Amino acid sequence: MTHRTRKSLAVLLLSSLLWTSLSSSSAQTATTVRIGFFPNLTHAPALVALDKGYYAAQMKGVKIETKDFVSGTTLSEAFAAGALDIGLIGPGPAINAAAKGMPIQIIAGVAEAGAVMIARKGSGIGTYKDLAGKKVAVPSLGNTQDISLRAILADAGLKPQSDGGSVTIVPLAPADVAAAFLSKQVDAALVPEPWAALLEAQSNKAVGDEKTVWRGGKYPSAVVIVNIKFAQANPELVKSFLKAHLQAIALLNKSPAAAQTSVSSALFKLTNQKLDPRVLQRALKRTTFTADVDIEAIKEYAQLNINAGYSRKSPDFDSLVDLSLLRSLTAPQSQVPIQKSPAPLILGRK
Amino acid sequence: MTTAPLSAVRRPRSMTFVWQIAGLIIIISLWWLVTDVLKIWPPYVFPSPKDVWEEFSYGLWGTGPQDGKLLSSVGSSLRRVALGYVIAVGLGGVVGLLMSLWRPLRETLGAYLQGLQSVPSIAFVPFAILFLGLNERAVMFVVIIEGFIPVALAVSGAVLNVPPAWRTAGRTLGANNFGLVTRVLLPAALPNIVTGLRTAWSFAWRALIGAELLTANPGLGRLLEVGRNTSNMALVIATIIIVGVIGALFDLLIRTLESRIRRDYGLEAGA
Repeated sequence: MTHRTRKSLAVLLLSSLLWTSLSSSSAQTATTVRIGFFPNLTHAPALVALDKGYYAAQMKGVKIETKDFVSGTTLSEAFAAGALDIGLIGPGPAINAAAKGMPIQIIAGVAEAGAVMIARKGSGIGTYKDLAGKKVAVPSLGNTQDISLRAILADAGLKPQSDGGSVTIVPLAPADVAAAFLSKQVDAALVPEPWAALLEAQSNKAVGDEKTVWRGGKYPSAVVIVNIKFAQANPELVKSFLKAHLQAIALLNKSPAAAQTSVSSALFKLTNQKLDPRVLQRALKRTTFTADVDIEAIKEYAQLNINAGYSRKSPDFDSLVDLSLLRSLTAPQSQVPIQKSPAPLILGRK
Repeated sequence: MTTAPLSAVRRPRSMTFVWQIAGLIIIISLWWLVTDVLKIWPPYVFPSPKDVWEEFSYGLWGTGPQDGKLLSSVGSSLRRVALGYVIAVGLGGVVGLLMSLWRPLRETLGAYLQGLQSVPSIAFVPFAILFLGLNERAVMFVVIIEGFIPVALAVSGAVLNVPPAWRTAGRTLGANNFGLVTRVLLPAALPNIVTGLRTAWSFAWRALIGAELLTANPGLGRLLEVGRNTSNMALVIATIIIVGVIGALFDLLIRTLESRIRRDYGLEAGA
């Protein structure tokens, strides 16, 4: 117990030291907000907020710097280095970072589901059980899809090769999966949208739908994290960020067509890729956008993460997830506790 | 090859050893001082010696899902680099010899190899993956390329540096082409060839870790990748230490061989 207190004290001391040394001028009130996200559909609220200028409109008087990252690994490294204040990231890297003592906190959800297992055309994979002896790609080891894949394999009675099983898990950037499929390097891939829909458009087949990946699709695939010190020093700013975030989610859920245009143009600016509207539509349909965070799913995640051997202990969930700011914004209007929103707002027609 | 025991290498070994141990103790103390005592950096940026030691112990005798794999990871990396190195040395030896004997080859391929040597091994990985697949062969390819170039250049250079008088002497004593190569040129070039073998080893070892890091085959590179992806800096540092120690041990081994050969050739004081 004393050891733990000492450790957390040390972490607090250190992080404050790091914080003051890194941004001595902005310790009180920040003049710049640095936001990180990925150019994926599970991060669509950030794409919409950027395209529509929601961040700038809500966070007046501060400079907004946005950076896009290719994976949770690089984003969490940026957090560790003190180069980001707010980030959209998969729960896997967020949990790992928190378990290692990084001063981050989950303050809102972004998206649920939004990832599908795609089998290469001609791979003969029809169900998860057929993955025996195959090579399956995930964006990176220890990321959200890797953890989901390990849960899928366990359910199907299979094991990864590194644990003495027959399934080889290959870390591969989603952008490279199409080429790997063509040269038959990998047989299947568990990838976030829009990559899954893109691969499907190239006549590869989805194994199950987004609901069969894990927990009936009711699991967070991206969450909003803040640097705890930043949040404590700038509560109003974080609140403004959340307002913009909620505004973007509302647009995604209420005006899919308008949101789609926004997402498309933001993606084009970031990746120089023009997505086929039908692909984008299908990808968005498989992703649920909600600012709420299912804490039970986060806890289950942490356990899966431990089962996979990526972590040895769970983080302190009480300090990791703090939705009080979010509640202060959402509760008065909706009157119903947002945590159990009865009908998840799914974009598009089912 | 001479087979004298290692103890035959005479150096003021005992003092060197004492200094090396002292240096190690000082480094670890400083490390402990800045991490555990002064706490200059948070542990997720720069973990303490204790955290890193824990990762070692997990890797050696831990019972978790990813634990106890340190030795097998070291084993797979060593197996890969050994095979790659042997192929690289064989291939490099033959090509280097041909280059030294045949001027057109030397002036074309030799020049290209000089250029290729400046390309970092990581640059070959994307090509290797597309060409050979996301598998062991891609890693081997990179290791062989990186090891092959210095061997070929060293062999070619070493044979060219054999004094012309020795060739004449060999011919005069009745050596045919094959005999000239095996009995005169290669033995005469051996000290410089061994120096090339040492360079090739460090190139191959670095190439291996880089390629493993990108392809995530079981091995030390994969440990690095897992450490990075799970914010486990202690695992990253533990792996870096293992990579460094193995690299240094093999370097020492080849260097011992090298200095013995140089002594046999009268190029180095024997003491």
